[in-house]
Amino acid sequence: MEHILSLLVFFPAVAGLLGFLVAKESIRAYGISVSVIEFCLSLILWIGFDSANAGYQFVEYYAFIPSYGMSYYLGVDGISLFLVILSTFITMIALIGLSIEKDIKNLIISVLFLEMTMVGVFLILDVIWFYAFWELSLVPMLYIIGGWGGERRMYAAIKFFLYTFAGSVLMLVGILYMGFLYYEATGIWSFALPDWYLLQVPFKAQLWLFGAFFLGFAIKVPMFPFHTWLPYAHGQAPTIGSVILAAVLLKMGSYGFVRFSLPLFPDATVYFLIPVAIICIIMVIYAAMIAYAQEDMKQVIAYSSISHMGIVILGTFAMNAEGITGSIFLMLSHGIVSGALFMLVGVIYDRRHTKMIRDFGGLAQVMPNFATVYGIMLMASVGLPLTVGFVGEFLSLVGFYRISWILTLLAGTGIILGAVYMLVLYKKSFFGQVVHEENRSLKDLNAKELSALIPLVLLVAILGIYPKPLLSTIDMSVQKMLVLMDQKAIEPATKELIMKANSIGGTH
Amino acid sequence: MEKYLYTALFAPLVSSLFVALFASRPKMLFTGVIASILIAISMVSSFVLLIDVNTHGALHVNMMDWIVAGNLYIPFGFVVDEVSVIMMVTVTLVSTVVHIYSIGYMDHDKSFNRFFSYLSAFVFSMMILVMSDNFVGLFIGWEGVGLCSWLLIGFWYHKHSASWAANEAFIMNRIADLGMLMGLFLIYWNVGSLQYEEVFATLKDLDSVVVATIGIFLFIGAMGKSAQFPLHTWLADAMEGPTPVSALIHAATMVTAGVYLVIRCGELYSMIPDVGFAIASLGAFVALFAASMALVNNDLKRIIAYSTLSQLGYMFVAAGLGAYWIALFHLMTHAFFKSLLFLGAGNVMHAMHDELNIKKMGGLYGSMKATAILMSVASVALAGIYPLAGFFSKDKILEVAFNEGAYFLWFALFIGAGLTAFYSFRLVMLVFFGEKEYIKHGFHPHEAQPFVIYALLPLGLLAVIAGWFEHQFEGFTTRLLARYEIHISHGIEIVLIGATLCIAVGGIAFAIYKYQRGGFSKTWEEGFFYKLLSNQYYIPKVYELYIMRPFTMLSQFVWQKIDMKVVDFTVDSIARTIYKTGEKSRKMQSGNLSDMLRWMVVGMVVLLVLALFYRPMA
Repeated sequence: MEHILSLLVFFPAVAGLLGFLVAKESIRAYGISVSVIEFCLSLILWIGFDSANAGYQFVEYYAFIPSYGMSYYLGVDGISLFLVILSTFITMIALIGLSIEKDIKNLIISVLFLEMTMVGVFLILDVIWFYAFWELSLVPMLYIIGGWGGERRMYAAIKFFLYTFAGSVLMLVGILYMGFLYYEATGIWSFALPDWYLLQVPFKAQLWLFGAFFLGFAIKVPMFPFHTWLPYAHGQAPTIGSVILAAVLLKMGSYGFVRFSLPLFPDATVYFLIPVAIICIIMVIYAAMIAYAQEDMKQVIAYSSISHMGIVILGTFAMNAEGITGSIFLMLSHGIVSGALFMLVGVIYDRRHTKMIRDFGGLAQVMPNFATVYGIMLMASVGLPLTVGFVGEFLSLVGFYRISWILTLLAGTGIILGAVYMLVLYKKSFFGQVVHEENRSLKDLNAKELSALIPLVLLVAILGIYPKPLLSTIDMSVQKMLVLMDQKAIEPATKELIMKANSIGGTH
Repeated sequence: MEKYLYTALFAPLVSSLFVALFASRPKMLFTGVIASILIAISMVSSFVLLIDVNTHGALHVNMMDWIVAGNLYIPFGFVVDEVSVIMMVTVTLVSTVVHIYSIGYMDHDKSFNRFFSYLSAFVFSMMILVMSDNFVGLFIGWEGVGLCSWLLIGFWYHKHSASWAANEAFIMNRIADLGMLMGLFLIYWNVGSLQYEEVFATLKDLDSVVVATIGIFLFIGAMGKSAQFPLHTWLADAMEGPTPVSALIHAATMVTAGVYLVIRCGELYSMIPDVGFAIASLGAFVALFAASMALVNNDLKRIIAYSTLSQLGYMFVAAGLGAYWIALFHLMTHAFFKSLLFLGAGNVMHAMHDELNIKKMGGLYGSMKATAILMSVASVALAGIYPLAGFFSKDKILEVAFNEGAYFLWFALFIGAGLTAFYSFRLVMLVFFGEKEYIKHGFHPHEAQPFVIYALLPLGLLAVIAGWFEHQFEGFTTRLLARYEIHISHGIEIVLIGATLCIAVGGIAFAIYKYQRGGFSKTWEEGFFYKLLSNQYYIPKVYELYIMRPFTMLSQFVWQKIDMKVVDFTVDSIARTIYKTGEKSRKMQSGNLSDMLRWMVVGMVVLLVLALFYRPMA
């Protein structure tokens, strides 16, 4: 158990390297086995995880470049634990459901490398390493989109790469400046996040640093107006790319807000709270409207991701345990649901080689199981209670209500608009008569697809009915972070807001 | 007693899940039978609980934790008290009848099994709604019944109109649900809990503006589910669903959930009488408004749907004015006679091969006597004629309005009673009596199967006798709900009852008189009022033209013009500018020595100028 975190991070990469030696015929089985083992490892991590301990666990620390305070520093807490499990789970499911034959060996190796970077981002506590994993995650995804994508894959892949890269370069400047500030204050260099947490950054510097980090995270999430790479990436990426992109990669951005922006710069967070919230609301409404206007099924889901991520970020900025715990839970649930929805789009694309809604219609008659699974995911996506989607959405909105009721009301329109675009999509694709002859002979879900989708369906129900084990573990670490933020806050206004956001009753 | 509680609650879920296993298979009779038996078990348990609550008082269980984060704690907790047990009994009783009835009604449907799975899921959601001991639990049921309503309205999904109506219902309810959620958030941040007990205990310490805001938000939620103006259009369109669904969901149970919410929050609403009065006024308006649309409609099911809408208005008048037990009483009696009316209409539709236009029927009494009698009984009960159920509950509501001094509301309800009587008997006359129009259209009507008729008998009986238990009902429910004192003198009371009876009988007599003589002349149908009413005051058109179309166009605009042409274009322009700059400036590096020297000179000049003008800050 001592080195389980290192094992989790590097096992997929090492296995991926060895994958070059595996024969092409057995690479699928190999990839799935590796991802299953990795998933089991992450479950072992959860079993060994002490949910009464809010701090970092299974910590591994080795000096890396001690003169500059860089170290190899791993640790897991309630905030990152389930994101790690989500990464390993989604990778496993995506590999199980993989239907591509072309160059499958290279694809699977890319996915395994991608898994390393994802797990790494969530587990690493040294900021330089964090940056390295963050940037490395772009490379496999660039290959996946560029190598196995649709017609305009090169444009989409390069746009994805350059856009997110540009954002993170600014973040790098922020990281170096923060390191320098730490050096100035203490006389020693350190890039260890727990060290940084203890530093009270001057207010002015907080504002600049918040901005630099914000850009990196906002492009990744993606927040309006930095979101336009996403529809292209999803439009061109193969199913497995879209699944991982939507389910995990976007969460790196929202995780960044929780892990960096809030605890490092509490005053700046409060200072920028309302502008960020307004961006979130624009995301929710604007993306929902665009989703409604789409003619391509995959684009509907892509834009719906932006809409949902708006609620995630809003919950993060609620500055209370309800909202932040909810937003982390919503990251998980969005990962499950959007992953499943992209997978479902892949199912129909494999059969019909089109994603246009007008080419479907009446699918419920020919593919009843497909329609059922799609319907369940749809309901989870619109946040029906007792599905996984409700818990996080409800908590995020509850949390932010304490900050501003009117902004929460506006964000809440997402539950209406979400129902509008999803139900209209469902009606056009699944209801009505079968109008296209090609659709009459479509086969329902096969064994491979079912084995990928059924676990997702089960999770949607189980976590919707009994989210408590996850929530209480997340909540523990979130409460600890809130205490830290309160202690570190320089401005009285910040302390006041955190106090207000976490108490019942009183004025509004 | 806990085991009865869990049986009542989970038997429908078991039924739904079990039947779902066979959902995609062709019709299997046993799915319907097993579902009916399980729902009946739930009904029996509910009755046992009714007796138990009567003798031992309320029962409260905490099954398990659900959402726990920060200070927020939401369990799966259930309470069986005087209010919820009445709802449970009503819901399971009507559900059982509807399940048995559906075995006959859905006989030839290829999705027979799927239907029962959905129907039982609905019962489960409804039980969650009424039994939960907290607002979020109620919200689970609230959304659950919305989902089942969506599934069942759109049950025949190959029909465009059915799936459209299903979406309309879901989306309109979502609009209201947002209001409800806001109410829940407000409660949470003021009370710190969403348990009914704690919330109602803390209310008196809260600022009255906060309480009023909570009341308004919750009522917005109720308006969606109970289809109050302006969120009412979905209910009439929901008649696209199979008729048993209309009877169960869109008449007896789900649409009364809004009334249940107001009754359940009686302690809250009695603190804010102004909001209550606004609710009552809206209710009275809807009572008249919906009744007026029922007057001219020719669609068998839509008439009954408008009637439901109108009766929901009556319930809201009572609930808004603080007479919670009377609202609950009317909710219960209405559930019996309205579901009977719908199920009878289902028999007529079967006989007429799904024809809905009552102008094409007429004289069906000859071929379907039992249905005709049952529907007539239900209509008399609906019209509020002594001694049937509707008389007791509806008359009480008028008395309440009079008692509160809200004479205007009373007058609206009084007129509404006359209209109700008229449209009910217009329907009965046009369907069962008069000229046999159906012969011209080549129909061969037949009575429903005997077991279907037998299944309806309990409802028929209740439509007659339910009102006789008024005093027991009052005594039982007012243990929990606020008592309501009527201070009208006995003489005036008699006059009021007499007047209401008169207008009801008058409405019936007028309908019988008119339609025995072939009804109104064609010229009526050219009139402005007729057109206004038959087009539902043009409200659906207004929604279509001024909400849906602009939204669609705006969405297109936002996508194609703003997102693609502005946001994305800007991003690409920045990238292109950087690329072009590189492309252009690359020429500097031509490798030609004289070019390079020239650039060097330019560079030197620039640096010298900078050195000359740049003053470092001292």
